[in-house]
Amino acid sequence: MKSLEGKTAVITGCLQGIGRAAMDMFARNGANVFACSLKRTEEFENHIEELKNECGVEIIPVYFDMMDDESIKSAVKEIQKAKIPIDALVNIAGTDKDALFQMVKMDDLRSTYQVNVFAQILFSQYIVKLMLRHGKGGSVIFTSSISGLEGRAGQLAYASSKAAIVAAAKTMAAELGTSKIRVNTIAPGFIDTEMYKDVPKETIENKIKRTALKRMGQPEEIASVLMFLASERSSHITGQVIRIDGGKGV
Amino acid sequence: MSRILEGKNAVITGARQGIGRAIAEAYAENGCGLWVCSRTDDEAFRKDMKELSEKYGVDIRTIFFDMMKEDEIKSAAKEILGSKIPVDILVNNAGATCRSLFQMTSMKTLRDVFEVDFFGPYLFTQLLLRAMMKCSSASIINIVSTAGLDANAGRSAYGSAKAALACFTRVLSAELGTKNIRVNAIAPGVTQTSLLTYDEEQLAEIVADSAQGVIGQPEDIAGSALFLASDSSSFVTGQIIRVDGFVL
Repeated sequence: MKSLEGKTAVITGCLQGIGRAAMDMFARNGANVFACSLKRTEEFENHIEELKNECGVEIIPVYFDMMDDESIKSAVKEIQKAKIPIDALVNIAGTDKDALFQMVKMDDLRSTYQVNVFAQILFSQYIVKLMLRHGKGGSVIFTSSISGLEGRAGQLAYASSKAAIVAAAKTMAAELGTSKIRVNTIAPGFIDTEMYKDVPKETIENKIKRTALKRMGQPEEIASVLMFLASERSSHITGQVIRIDGGKGV
Repeated sequence: MSRILEGKNAVITGARQGIGRAIAEAYAENGCGLWVCSRTDDEAFRKDMKELSEKYGVDIRTIFFDMMKEDEIKSAAKEILGSKIPVDILVNNAGATCRSLFQMTSMKTLRDVFEVDFFGPYLFTQLLLRAMMKCSSASIINIVSTAGLDANAGRSAYGSAKAALACFTRVLSAELGTKNIRVNAIAPGVTQTSLLTYDEEQLAEIVADSAQGVIGQPEDIAGSALFLASDSSSFVTGQIIRVDGFVL
């Protein structure tokens, strides 16, 4: 038996990076996946077809825009229509717009919060409602960031939104514990994804020099932690923030 | 389920019962060879481990030493190193619990608790590191306690010793990262073992303060110990993971 055999997960941000790695790993471990993405591409749809055939699981792409509450609602309706009970919700999609504090535009701050906080809460509200209906409990995972725990120059909007989601997750964990729904947050460090593609190599090297493992993480190394948190192996872990940062010594 | 520790070898202290026993079974079930450590030698433990070994088809060796005694720790480590079996995973689980108000805690009690919960694992880890350095990657897992992170009355000795072990975990992660040895800790909350020192009324109170409203089982801790031992946690180091059902 695979560790997620027979389970169904909703994963956001599946187009690339950590979300893509999570979708692949969950499917390969036997889970059905509602693969959420903002963009629909041919590559994405072909990949899903191949993955479905390879793993013998159901993978249903769902497209919606987290900037738009109505779009979130109709995505949930689509998920609900499939009538597959949901065991795990993995919130990965997010946005990052860097600017120094004095330069942060209120519009950017608001849109960052819309995607990284409000949409996460709204979408989770709906999906948790579905989980409560089947009564088997479940696991909800949010994605924060080490900069949400520590702050980082140039990341006021992103870092503070990622701090907000930690408190939201802990509150949900406190409220949903007796319904057997666990809620945890991961805080990735420097992960080799699109997010760092424009960051100069030297900056990255300086940053990873200060970690214990002295390398960037791979998206698969985040996906494997998400699998743990979605599985029964973490059944007594809730309300926690798990740092996946190669050891930062702070 | 695929056996995720196939071909690896682990040393687990305090493996006779409770959390240590559950970790031994989870590792054996996942294909891991074991050194299981306990303070006293007896037939029941040997028999139990022999059955585990047969059930899962893995090698299990028993070894007996007292965490209070430096010379016993040294000879146990010597035996393990002498076997030339690589040590991919070390679980420092053995510990002594203690509940006693600050004003009532004798220096002897304090020293004894630190001996078993901190100095012993410190020395044992130091000695086994030689075998772990030879592995392409390795994982050290310290079982601490939420009592070492929170402020619980009566835990000045035990909590401080576990806090020391938690700090040791983080410092060691920084020192051993480049050797590809990861070091993490699990902080169980109140867990159903024979070490449980609470009466029913106290347990009800503790449970009422947690989000899940249940106390932990040894298997809950073993699930995390399996995760931290496996490649699933390859980018996780220096962390202290609370397994407590979210104490509020």
